[in-house]
Amino acid sequence: MKSKITTIAALGVAAVLALSGCGGGGNSNSADGKVTLKMVESLTNPTRTETLKTLLTGFEKANPDIKVDLISPPTDSADQKIQQMLQSGKGVDVVEARDITVGSFGANKWLYDMSADLKGWEGWENLTDNAVNYSKQDGKTYYIPYGFYGLSLFYRTDLVKEAGFSGPPASWSDLLKQSEKLNQPDANKFGYAFRGGTNANSNAVAVIEAYTADQIDKENAFKLSNGKTIFSAPEAQQAMDDYLEIFKKGSPPSSVAWGYPEMVQGFSNGSTAFLLQDPEVIATIKESKSIKADQWSVAPLLTGPTGKAIQPVATAGWGIAEASTAKPEAIKLIKYLSQGEPATQFSKDNSLVPILKAAAKDPFYSEGPWAAYVTMTENPDTYISAVQPRGVAWWTEWIKKSDGELQRVLTGKMTTQELLTSWDSYWTEKMAG
Amino acid sequence: MRGSKPAGAPPAPHTNYHRKKRFNARTALTLLAFMAPAAIFVGIFTYYPMISGSQMAFRNWNLNDLSDTSWVGWGNFIALFENPEFGTIVRNTVVWVVGSLVPQVVIGFALALFLKRKFKFRGAYQAFIFFPWAVSGFLIGMLFRWMFNAEFGVVNDLLMKVGIIDTPIPWLAEPGFAMTAIIVANIWYGVTFFAIMILAALQSVSDEMYEAAAIDGAGKIRTFFSITLPAISVTLGLTILLRIIWIFNFPDIIWAMTGGGPADQTHIITTYMIKITQEGDYGQASALGLIVVFTLMLFAAFYLMAVRPRKANR
Repeated sequence: MKSKITTIAALGVAAVLALSGCGGGGNSNSADGKVTLKMVESLTNPTRTETLKTLLTGFEKANPDIKVDLISPPTDSADQKIQQMLQSGKGVDVVEARDITVGSFGANKWLYDMSADLKGWEGWENLTDNAVNYSKQDGKTYYIPYGFYGLSLFYRTDLVKEAGFSGPPASWSDLLKQSEKLNQPDANKFGYAFRGGTNANSNAVAVIEAYTADQIDKENAFKLSNGKTIFSAPEAQQAMDDYLEIFKKGSPPSSVAWGYPEMVQGFSNGSTAFLLQDPEVIATIKESKSIKADQWSVAPLLTGPTGKAIQPVATAGWGIAEASTAKPEAIKLIKYLSQGEPATQFSKDNSLVPILKAAAKDPFYSEGPWAAYVTMTENPDTYISAVQPRGVAWWTEWIKKSDGELQRVLTGKMTTQELLTSWDSYWTEKMAG
Repeated sequence: MRGSKPAGAPPAPHTNYHRKKRFNARTALTLLAFMAPAAIFVGIFTYYPMISGSQMAFRNWNLNDLSDTSWVGWGNFIALFENPEFGTIVRNTVVWVVGSLVPQVVIGFALALFLKRKFKFRGAYQAFIFFPWAVSGFLIGMLFRWMFNAEFGVVNDLLMKVGIIDTPIPWLAEPGFAMTAIIVANIWYGVTFFAIMILAALQSVSDEMYEAAAIDGAGKIRTFFSITLPAISVTLGLTILLRIIWIFNFPDIIWAMTGGGPADQTHIITTYMIKITQEGDYGQASALGLIVVFTLMLFAAFYLMAVRPRKANR
């Protein structure tokens, strides 16, 4: 009898454990009719998560029948986790999609097209042109951006003045001149915080785009108006040669391996005089104890010999998982985050270029370090906004390839000509489909 | 029936047989039932993903476009072998494993011998020395990345202050230096494991053997090679095997310090696998995963055959 009970108990335990592995799903409806949305963010950092939680509390107060559970994976692995969640169709309703991930997420039908739900939405009128354009790519609305990242030049006002220059570099050739003069390796002081590590391709492409700005296709900033890639243009060769000179004559030798943290650290601890970065760095540099507020400022993006620059806008936003069974509630949440005070607070707290037209009048954006962004916005013919093909499914593959090859150039294992030929072949083949 | 048997009566000759038979039948079912949760768990969370991942290795499984996931046979394997970087990656893997392992064994052994001696605050010393093993590999990589930073890092600063170098070494910017830097970080991390394992093995060697050796007039070196080393050889052999497999499969430090750079020159097989996965090519990444599994299985089999105790020595 005893052994029978033991056998039954063992089988019972086995069954319970086996069955516990089953089940899942994103949202859940509790007995009181409350819907729980699962929301997952990608570019996680503690301050940002705090802001987001505050906004979600506001949303829950305004919508007592909806609860939002925020999932915040570490940034390095977040996109892969989101990818797995979307692929499995479980555990997520609202998702942070980035311009570099939305392409593959959309192509694999993991994201929901919100076009029909947002038709006639009054919030469209309050969004900037950029925000609307990025929301409606290829006739589909997979996400609504929450802000934009854009390049500008952070510079040391005191060092530039001491070196005898009347102002910050306005062009890439100015940057070469000033970096070379300010470069003092023996004193551990350098000109430009060169990006040779992760995402090194982004700044290299910015130089090439500035040199080919007159011929660029604004709908695809990797293409010339004649249909060829920007990497095939003779101006691209000059751009890369000049860029390599900046590395050799005006940058730290170890910047071959510098990614975001080293670049920002190099500028904020006073080792380098120039830094090309997104506005989110403003908050970090303000906290620096090595350089005071009157020692640095922000200038517009550097121009090429054309006198123009292409602003490579980057963005991310909120979308909905195709497998979500709480789409109406998810739409409510996305509308809430994309307008009024929640949208402004999110962009301010995260140092993002705002998505709302009204924000430009806010002194926060029109004064101090943000003034350079207003200058760029007010001069659209000089600082041309063009769309990089960051949404294509192979964008991550491109980043890995281009970063690796650029490091080869910096370490002397490849010439700039070989690099441009390789990049041209890659994009010509990809764009041909 | 059992209760009705008269006290002191000899057991029936067939009783044990019946008990054994009944025991086998019921216990087999019970054992199976008790094993089932673990078996189901391992099956779902280990073997199913492994088999699922293995079949990806023979298919065109690219997350950038899942519309065509057809079978490609050995295509992914051929593409890997034809990759001009593959030779460098294999060479780096060997350098990474051997370069990390040998100093780890030597320093770990020395530390274990040191910690075996009784002295004041030995427990506190042990805790300090074992500390690195409790830290995440990725975090260690991040710390060493800053330590080896040419301009702001403590390593160059110390070397310059001591007068060993005049100009900063671009540790993470030159492939040769970068490989050295990541191996130094891994040695620091892994020494602890050997110290722990060898210390445990040393404590199991009986004092009588050392006393007998001392009576026979054996010196310290002779005692080490004739008593200590043979007594812990099995533990040492298995620890080395385990460590080789772990180091082979340990991309954390490299990924955090160099990301496989500069110019993809510090990739080992597992960091390269991460790179391919991030590019979305799960087919090639799975093929690389299978290569790793079979290489390590073959290595483990040969290694165990090589280090097993010889009958003649028993």
